[in-house]
Amino acid sequence: METKLNSNKKSLVQMHNITKSFFENVVNSNIDFSLQEGEIHALLGENGAGKTTLMNMLTGVYSPDSGDIFFKGEKTVFTFPGKALQIGIGMVHQRFSLVGNLTVLENLILGHPDNKFVLDMQKKRKIINTYMDQYDFHIDLDAIINELPIGVRQKVEILKMLVRDVDVLIVDEPTTVLTKQEADNLMDILKKISNSGKGIIFITHKMAEVFKIADKITILRKGEKINTVITKETTARELARMMVGKESDTAFVRPKVEKFEDRVVVKNLFVNSDKKVLAVKDLSFSVKGGEVLGISGVTGNGQIELADALTGNREVIRGKIFYKKVDVTNFPPVKRIDLGISYIPGDRINVGVAGSRSVWENLIMKIYRLPEFGKRLLLNNRKLKEYAKKIIKKYDIALPGIDLPALLLSGGNLQKVIIGREMERDCGLYICVYPTRGLDVGATEFVRQSILKLRNEGKAVILISGDFDEIFGLSDRIGVMFEGNFTGVFENGKHSLEEIGLMMSGHTEAEAAKEMANV
Amino acid sequence: MYKVKLEQRERVSNKQELFITLYAIGVALALSGIFIALNGVNPFVAFWKVLLSSFGSTYGISETLLKAVPLMFTGLSVAIALNSKIWNIGAEGQLYFGAIVATAFVLHGPVLPTPIMLTILLVLGAVGGAFWASIPAFLKIKFKMNEVISTLLLNYVAMNIADYFLFGSWKGPDNFPYTVEFPIQARLPKIGFGRLHLGIVIALLLVVVIYVIINYTKTGYKLRLTGSSLKAAKYAGIDIKKMMFAVFLFSGALAGLAGVIQVTGIEYKLHQHISSGYGYTGIIVAWLARSNPFVIVIFALFLSVLLKGADSLQIAMHLPAAVGTVTQALILFAILGSELFKNYKIKFLWGNK
Repeated sequence: METKLNSNKKSLVQMHNITKSFFENVVNSNIDFSLQEGEIHALLGENGAGKTTLMNMLTGVYSPDSGDIFFKGEKTVFTFPGKALQIGIGMVHQRFSLVGNLTVLENLILGHPDNKFVLDMQKKRKIINTYMDQYDFHIDLDAIINELPIGVRQKVEILKMLVRDVDVLIVDEPTTVLTKQEADNLMDILKKISNSGKGIIFITHKMAEVFKIADKITILRKGEKINTVITKETTARELARMMVGKESDTAFVRPKVEKFEDRVVVKNLFVNSDKKVLAVKDLSFSVKGGEVLGISGVTGNGQIELADALTGNREVIRGKIFYKKVDVTNFPPVKRIDLGISYIPGDRINVGVAGSRSVWENLIMKIYRLPEFGKRLLLNNRKLKEYAKKIIKKYDIALPGIDLPALLLSGGNLQKVIIGREMERDCGLYICVYPTRGLDVGATEFVRQSILKLRNEGKAVILISGDFDEIFGLSDRIGVMFEGNFTGVFENGKHSLEEIGLMMSGHTEAEAAKEMANV
Repeated sequence: MYKVKLEQRERVSNKQELFITLYAIGVALALSGIFIALNGVNPFVAFWKVLLSSFGSTYGISETLLKAVPLMFTGLSVAIALNSKIWNIGAEGQLYFGAIVATAFVLHGPVLPTPIMLTILLVLGAVGGAFWASIPAFLKIKFKMNEVISTLLLNYVAMNIADYFLFGSWKGPDNFPYTVEFPIQARLPKIGFGRLHLGIVIALLLVVVIYVIINYTKTGYKLRLTGSSLKAAKYAGIDIKKMMFAVFLFSGALAGLAGVIQVTGIEYKLHQHISSGYGYTGIIVAWLARSNPFVIVIFALFLSVLLKGADSLQIAMHLPAAVGTVTQALILFAILGSELFKNYKIKFLWGNK
């Protein structure tokens, strides 16, 4: 196979100095990106790095605040959303856009520009068959979409773009919902498509896939382009470093505390995601009192499902959860709350509080059932409000009044309400999910100090976070989660950020260490 | 050239919300005024007649209150469900089923002293309504069936069950589809103001009881959380399925009570038209009142004025009876449309930009 990087290949896409912000958040900052014919160009980065936003600008879903987009050498402005597809740029989104109760054939021709008033289905079928022959993958055209496995649906999405003769095909994290075999098969197909001269942009956060099919890799981090490298000339270690950044030396004092017994023990846990695929696979670990277990990993590797399962908000398929030696696997959430399992959810505004209710009503969420706050069926509103006021004072929450609906609070204050509520309850286990995401510096500091305080008081803490400062600063041990299991669990300090970056992309602890030794 | 732009609002105050509601009613009345004018009647005269017929005499006032009673029940029924984001479009059917169950006891059970008899009938009516609501509740919780469809369709089933008995074993001696008159023990006592009966006292009591439940009990607190966010309620440890089921039952019971009140308070028998769409009008009442139990009383009266007014327009000004229905529909439209203004401000921008 001739090398695909020779210069006589025509340029398909060039993006210059693209900047885009939503409100005050800059999600893409001065990004350059280019794609040539027959090239597979991977966009690598963690969730929130700005990959999808960048591609949404290439397909005209958003328009950039500044910067230019050239398609086949011509400056292009996407005046309407359908224009990208019209000129030859097609994107397969993470959420499929197929009509579930139509057949594959019907989906493929739906909205096709060549459709006449009278549809000649036989002719369409023939045309589509030639496409399938060309790329050498076959799908039963008469199958109903809903009855097909996810992997085949993905192929239908890709075929849908091919029959529209796109020159640029963008696939957004296509393997997240696929099995290993399906993913391999998909990558073979993508290779064939690129060999026919089309350009492919492959959005992913998985290292192995990048090495398998990409010719070039552009790494984004926190909205900025870090570098574009040629796959053959780079190593996993280098990529991991570019993806996760450098260790900063924010120092947290973690005094030695007496570690207590195993507070929570998880044994061979299996949990499904909302899509009914396994999100947590055969996971086992334990956390002691007085210990923070930091769980790091790219979003969507089962962290949320794990937290949900621990708190009783998601069904456990197989395996056991013990809390203080009690098997709580099948306990409903309310029982776990009473036992002292506290949950600081990642989705503050929708899960952590009832947004339209007042702050005081939200502060009493976990304690209103206690006998001291009302006899039998009744509630003692006066006492409850006093309790709420006490928390507001103790945790220094700035509020115009306790009757303010929770959704009007700023992110930091909202998190203070939630953390105040949970800390005041004196639980044995705290599960904190992305506790500082989106918070300003002051609020972030408050949250982190609070977590340390919990640890120093002898509570067990499970900290799920995407922020390495936080993970390194607060954790006693670190578990790296990848596709539903830990690729490594180790004492904080044993591995460098680069190694953790490798483990986040699927390397095991041993593989990561080997990769590091190679250089 | 000018452009209309929608701008998202942060949040509406209660006062703004009230203004938006009143504004919507105003728009609806203006539109129905046009409809009345098209029928060759001066709308102002017509509206004056409506007011006069409702409040111009003690008889008018008592009749207006009388019509408002079932609307308070159905309004509360829909509102309590709506509070938990459940759409009970089936108050009409629950009303009929409550009435059927109560009637069955009157026709086939013993005749007991008035207080006992009425208590039994009220309880049976509530149970009947709750049972009828338990069907869509079960379907929603177990099979995720949309309750709008199931509750609506069950209305027709309930009415057909009534027909089954009315044309069958319960048919009265003169061969028309209505039952024999209820014995005096099975009639709600009058309270000495026209035809107005004890039902209004029960309705007002329930308003207070519901207010207390929502604001001063643990169940009420759970209701408030569930109504605000299902996810947050689940997070707080509330069994939301159980909660939803309970809300359905309670909602159905209230509608069932409306049925008993109708047959024991005014009609004294079961027939095909014990409700003039009270179950549906209750939806408008609940929406207008934004599910606040006290405000429901006010809007039940308002809708009752419209219903009664339509009757009098038909008689006095020879307008089609549909005027009332049209006005009601316009109000519902306007209220639903006004939701937009709750979430958005409208800005008119002049110029070419």
